[in-house]
Amino acid sequence: MSAALQSYVATLLIYLGVNSIACWGLNLQFGVSGVMNFAFILFQAMGAYITAVLTLPKATAGSAETYILGWHLPWPLPLVGAGVAGAVLALAVGSFALRPRRRDFQATVMLVVSIIASTLVVSEQGWFNGNQGLFGIPQPFAGSLSLLPAGYDWFFVALTAGVALLVLFATDRFTSSPWGRRLRAMRENADAAESLGTNVRAESLKVYVAGGAIAAISGGVLVEFITSWDPSGWGTGETFIFFVAIIVGGLGNNFGAFLGAFLVLGVFLELPTYLPQLSNSNVEESLQSAAIGVLILAFLWWRPQGIIPERRRKLSRLVPAAAREPAAVESAASVREEKREPTTAVTREPAQAATARSAELSVRDLHREFGGVHAVDGLSFELVPGQATGLIGPNGAGKSTALKLIAGAMPPSGGHVLVDGVDVAGWPAHKVSRLGVIRTFQHTSEFGRLTVLENLLTAAPGQPGDSIGGALLGRRHARPRQLELLEQAWALLADFQLTAHADTYAGQLSGGQRRLVEIMRALMARPRILLLDEPMAGVNPTLRLTIEEHLRRLRDSGLTMLMVEHELGSVERVCDCVIVMAQGKLLATGTMAELRRNEEVVSAYLAG
Amino acid sequence: MRISLGKRSPGHEPADAAAPALTVAGLAAGYGDTPTIMDVDLTVHRGEIVTVLGPNGAGKSTLLKAVLGVLRPMSGSVRLGERDLTALRSDQICRLSVGYVPQVRDTFPRLTVLENIEMGGYTLPRSKVKARVEEVMELYPHLRKIASRQGGHLSGGERKMLAIARAMMIKPALLVLDEPTAGLAPKPADELLTKHIAALTGTGVSLLMVEQRAREAMAISHRAYVMAAGRVVLTDRADVLLARPDIGDVFLGRSALETPRPPGPET
Amino acid sequence: MSQVVLSLGFGLVTASILAIGAVGFTIQFGVTNLFNLAYGEIMTVAAFAAYLARTTLHWDMWLAMAVGGLCGMLVSLAMSRCVFMPFLQRGTSQFAMVMVTVAVSFILKNVLQIWSGANFYSYQLPPEPSIRFLGMVFDARELAIIGLAVASLLGLHLLFQYTRLGKAMRATSDDAGLARSVGIPTSRIVSAAWLLSGLLAGIAGVALAMDLGTFDSNTGGSFLLLIVAAAVFGSVGEPYGAVLGALVIGIASELAAIISPTLKDVVAFAILVLVLLFRPEGLRSGRVQLRGEVTA
Repeated sequence: MSAALQSYVATLLIYLGVNSIACWGLNLQFGVSGVMNFAFILFQAMGAYITAVLTLPKATAGSAETYILGWHLPWPLPLVGAGVAGAVLALAVGSFALRPRRRDFQATVMLVVSIIASTLVVSEQGWFNGNQGLFGIPQPFAGSLSLLPAGYDWFFVALTAGVALLVLFATDRFTSSPWGRRLRAMRENADAAESLGTNVRAESLKVYVAGGAIAAISGGVLVEFITSWDPSGWGTGETFIFFVAIIVGGLGNNFGAFLGAFLVLGVFLELPTYLPQLSNSNVEESLQSAAIGVLILAFLWWRPQGIIPERRRKLSRLVPAAAREPAAVESAASVREEKREPTTAVTREPAQAATARSAELSVRDLHREFGGVHAVDGLSFELVPGQATGLIGPNGAGKSTALKLIAGAMPPSGGHVLVDGVDVAGWPAHKVSRLGVIRTFQHTSEFGRLTVLENLLTAAPGQPGDSIGGALLGRRHARPRQLELLEQAWALLADFQLTAHADTYAGQLSGGQRRLVEIMRALMARPRILLLDEPMAGVNPTLRLTIEEHLRRLRDSGLTMLMVEHELGSVERVCDCVIVMAQGKLLATGTMAELRRNEEVVSAYLAG
Repeated sequence: MRISLGKRSPGHEPADAAAPALTVAGLAAGYGDTPTIMDVDLTVHRGEIVTVLGPNGAGKSTLLKAVLGVLRPMSGSVRLGERDLTALRSDQICRLSVGYVPQVRDTFPRLTVLENIEMGGYTLPRSKVKARVEEVMELYPHLRKIASRQGGHLSGGERKMLAIARAMMIKPALLVLDEPTAGLAPKPADELLTKHIAALTGTGVSLLMVEQRAREAMAISHRAYVMAAGRVVLTDRADVLLARPDIGDVFLGRSALETPRPPGPET
Repeated sequence: MSQVVLSLGFGLVTASILAIGAVGFTIQFGVTNLFNLAYGEIMTVAAFAAYLARTTLHWDMWLAMAVGGLCGMLVSLAMSRCVFMPFLQRGTSQFAMVMVTVAVSFILKNVLQIWSGANFYSYQLPPEPSIRFLGMVFDARELAIIGLAVASLLGLHLLFQYTRLGKAMRATSDDAGLARSVGIPTSRIVSAAWLLSGLLAGIAGVALAMDLGTFDSNTGGSFLLLIVAAAVFGSVGEPYGAVLGALVIGIASELAAIISPTLKDVVAFAILVLVLLFRPEGLRSGRVQLRGEVTA
């Protein structure tokens, strides 16, 4: 190979490495977690600038560059600096850009930031030398190794590969960990994730920071190779191209991101150099850019999941064969019930025996109004611990709203919610859920593109590997607990007769099955107080009986339950005690039989 | 336990001798594969107010949706006068002189009261709209006072009145109301039923209404149907139905027909 | 002080152009719930169309602006019919639609770039004598632009308050489902919204090009962010709020320019970011629920 060819190939490989790093970072943000970072290029630019500043030696006398620190740090310190800078910038931007709830709004804010930053850098000479940019950046180890230019290029390839592998290692660990699963759940249904303990805003910010650091590192490596950097290299078009790359390659998986980097950033953008030169290089560039736009439309139309779709994680094969036997399932079920502390009753004793360990819930003078309408108007009641209580009442009585207030899905306008004596009124849902208060939703809220087993596993608290740090510790760290949880989840699936669908995407199940997944998922969250919001809604009579049976078993094990239901037959068969609400207030309590004889209650129902 | 007194009985308010406004026969409908309602027969005669009652989950809103063409019936038929509505879509049915007052989202919040009513007459020839608005305002004079207020700023009772006025713009043969008193406090709910809805009888429109406030609704209705578990379990004249001693049981879930089926394979 | 008043004058001109553009954007969003990031390119295309009308047909500037407006209508309708609606019918989520609009903007911008070369274009308008008014300085063209904005907004007001079409658009914007059930042909109303917003984009694009003196294929896209800022300020989907937003942002950015030219753009963006943070629904009573469904 001639030296020139070698150089060329090496350059391609370096670019492939840099682009892969960037794509892995964006994939973590967008593909895995659903954060649409339209300011992505800003972070790569940040990394490049900081690396340049940290690497440049002191300005020589008379030079125009007065901004350099002149530290001339050796490799890999500038890259570390770049990573830190990227993380800090992401923290700053993410803290406000992730506030709006609509993701297209978030994306627009980020786009705006990206443009302001670009404008500012161009106009503020003192920052990074404006439009001229930085140049003359010394390459790592350039002086100390006596290599021919071609040899140096290969050396740099090795350096890039090293960094790329590190980043791949980290992102792979992130995505395949329980934390990664939590992120994917957040992507699928942020509200449900929130109700099961995920602090959506905080986790989004973490992902934003991690991705920002990775993007910055990619910029750092790149700038050390091309030795110069200016605003023309980081317009908003560049962000778009990265998005195209990961969408084409395949969202949610690192191999797809790599493929995207290869195909779009590599092949697609490199190809035109082989075509006969058109009159104007600008035309070529525009043609390319327009073609990229067409490419993304084509993919969004025909293959939105990309060339390599996110793979379905078949966790059922991890469940030990022994655990799948019916006998084992039985014992796992009782083991599962034992493990549920502190409300568990080891035997099926009447609920009273479990009182001491069952969670207490009381509501005092709870209020919630919407634009003048008092949905909940001074509601007060106390649940008997370890019992199942029904919450019934005519339409518009405020039952669902009451449940949401208790669970933290919306803040009350006034009043107190006491869980074991702690006032949780106004707490966000994820915080309330940590106390063991778990709510199911009226409309099914499964994580569509997670399998049934994954749905269940997401809910369980206390999983090693469920944080950034934990994720980096890898599979071995997380595995023991994961296997334990898998056995429990499998036992649940067996109870509900859904083992055949263990590896099916939850979004592909029928309505009734999805309802079951939601209930099982709530159970995996080890609830101490289970709030059920119309669990029988839209469920056919046979399934209803199955669910009732499970709820009775839960009641028997000492779980405190509050169930909003219109199916009064179900309420009668499951609940020991029933609360009637009307007009946002408590109307009466008692057993169903007692309530039927209660004039006021009958009147409320008949009067609406 | 189905008592059907046939179409008319002595002492009943005189109704038109012509074909009933609405005839539902053997209707089954639902979401997905299994029907939520089955075997439903229901009639509304010209100028009648017919109420459908029953506990939640009984299939009342499914019935309405099937009549309005939002849900496609799985079997049976729906006829408006002579016209077969069974296969038609909702926007086609509306144009055929069926007015609809939904339970929620029944007004345009940022349009004024007057504009809301005008929109109700969108399909009318433009020259007729003004006159018709006047007629509707005659029906509910209070609306004249709040004519320039925005829909979103009205009280619950006013909004329902507005929604009915809007639906009445096309002089429908059949007006369908889905739980008109839902979310209203007792007083405005009472007023809505006993005053405003009852006032519609004079206009010649036939009413099919789903209601929770059984007593008050039946006080203004001619006949009623009680549904439970997807079927019609009782139908009678409203006054007769209301007098039944076991009416409370029907509503609080204890119906003779509601027997749990034995567990079988899950869906 | 005189500097401030002078800037106020500039601000009014910018605000006028911004108002036309922002109202167009917000009308389309209100009816379709779609964030169309290709809106800026509609403006650019219109500016070029007007240019062609002047150079090849030698038409008067205002006639050329009409051509631009017409062009804007066509491009807008084509975008919605040929790209956005098919994607929506295919089930693309509202969130993914942003990518689609960005892709369209990318394509349009670059095609324009190919066609126009990387050159700047100008309508070559002869300089006009300046008119002093309350300490502000305008030329006849700028006054005409302000007048155009006022006239357009007035026309829109009449449309929305007194015509059946206008009311139907408001109704569809409020609640498309209810609109359908009273017999409003919502798909036709949606098309009307696209046409109207395209017309406004076209006019704003040509006015912008006139005001800037020169324009190129990036002009519309750069202005888009100011438009989004103005639209969001007054609550996206509320045309009157967009006008308020245009005034605030147009004037604020010109006033900031007194301190430093860079600050001009930064101020507008900063306002957008602040509004989005604290009142994502905009300043006017957050009654507008950012609905989940997109109608397009």
